[in-house]
Amino acid sequence: MAETEDKAEPPAILIDPIDMSKLDSEFRHEISSMPNGEELSACFACSTCTAACPIANVWKYKPHQLIRMILLGMREEVLSSEEIWLCLTCFQCQERCPQKVRVTDILFDCKNLAAEEDKIPPNVAALGKQLVETGQLYTVTADWEREDMDLEPEVPGLDVEPIKKILKGTRTGRISSGGSE
Amino acid sequence: MPTYNLYMGCSVPANYPNYEAAMTRVANAFGIQLDYLEGVACCGSPNLRAIDHFGWLVVNARTLAIADKTGNDTITPCNGCFGSLKDVYHILVHDADSREAVNKELKKEGLEFKGLSKPRHFVEVLYTDVGMEEIKKKITTPLDGVGISIHYGCHILRPADVTEFKPEILDELLRVTGATVVEYPLWKQCCGATVLPVNEALGIRLARDKLKSMKEAGAEFATVVCPACANQLDLQQLDLKKSYGEDYNLPILFLPQILGLAMGLSEEEVGLSMNRVPAGPILSHLRG
Repeated sequence: MAETEDKAEPPAILIDPIDMSKLDSEFRHEISSMPNGEELSACFACSTCTAACPIANVWKYKPHQLIRMILLGMREEVLSSEEIWLCLTCFQCQERCPQKVRVTDILFDCKNLAAEEDKIPPNVAALGKQLVETGQLYTVTADWEREDMDLEPEVPGLDVEPIKKILKGTRTGRISSGGSE
Repeated sequence: MPTYNLYMGCSVPANYPNYEAAMTRVANAFGIQLDYLEGVACCGSPNLRAIDHFGWLVVNARTLAIADKTGNDTITPCNGCFGSLKDVYHILVHDADSREAVNKELKKEGLEFKGLSKPRHFVEVLYTDVGMEEIKKKITTPLDGVGISIHYGCHILRPADVTEFKPEILDELLRVTGATVVEYPLWKQCCGATVLPVNEALGIRLARDKLKSMKEAGAEFATVVCPACANQLDLQQLDLKKSYGEDYNLPILFLPQILGLAMGLSEEEVGLSMNRVPAGPILSHLRG
């Protein structure tokens, strides 16, 4: 009969298999050796981190998936993902992990690796540039407001030069000098 | 008179002189001397940590190394600065390799991180070093019956093993003024400030959800201890009329402003007119 001839579409729950040849088996070691990355392999994918994340519902890759992707070696996907930059750094995932995986800290590690490859959202790169150029994120403009409150118009003790000098010599300086002139 | 270093960071002095002044006046009332730390600037915020972990370590270790020379602990009124300083302090105390690498950089300026000066949030110093008994003695105009919700802010609470801060500190500092602490479901949730550079609409949504949660729980005020949280909950509130068509009219006060008012400071002395959502009507009702 005609209807049995029709090939049904594959069920939507199936996903494309991961291309094993594109996995980077060193990625997990790279992250484990970074600040607070040691507990990475303790993850048993319970997804408590995802339950704790206030914005995971708008993430394509949820926090527990990102951790799994790191363990699998999906370096390119993780470091190019928008999610690592959307992280609020609220530490709710990390705080609730029953395996003591420092999820938020690991996302900071991922951002540092992405930054090293110049994969930084423009507005975040602009903040880095601002730090190198001005030594701070906010500068006093309304000094009369300070005087109204009986405060010194200029912030006592402020010296931006050493910060500018330090950051000029680190990754921030390199990122900020590239392609912006 | 106990003396502390005062590390202001960049946001409070530029955006919230009312917070700076209220903190200074409350400190004076308790005989706390705050000396502005010499030769320091911005902590870099989580944005710097995201793109340049080592640069972030050096910048904050430098601040702590300058503080080390004074022999006094270092107070900040900003959760962002507190988070950076506490995290860097924690890393450098526990990781000899990082400490060595950072000190190599600091040596160029003749500085060394020793970990002698502990970074602390102003409200924790009030709670621990002044103590609730002494604070209670100074309450002259109690805010009896006013319902206040607390937005703690992420970087003062978490990660708890690093920040070593307990939520009860702010609860007790509010209750001592005679105010009622209004609990609300989203008390742990982020204000959304950090995500603004990457997704502004998402950041605004988070601020709106916080305000809604506090308002629905019956808060008349809310208190914050961080300039970034204040941007989100106070300043951003005005825009919510446009973006969400919602008007929360929930005054957001820094904790030293509330404490100061209860200690008899005037509205001018705590800079209440600089808060964007006016708090005056509620206070005059209370006192009328």
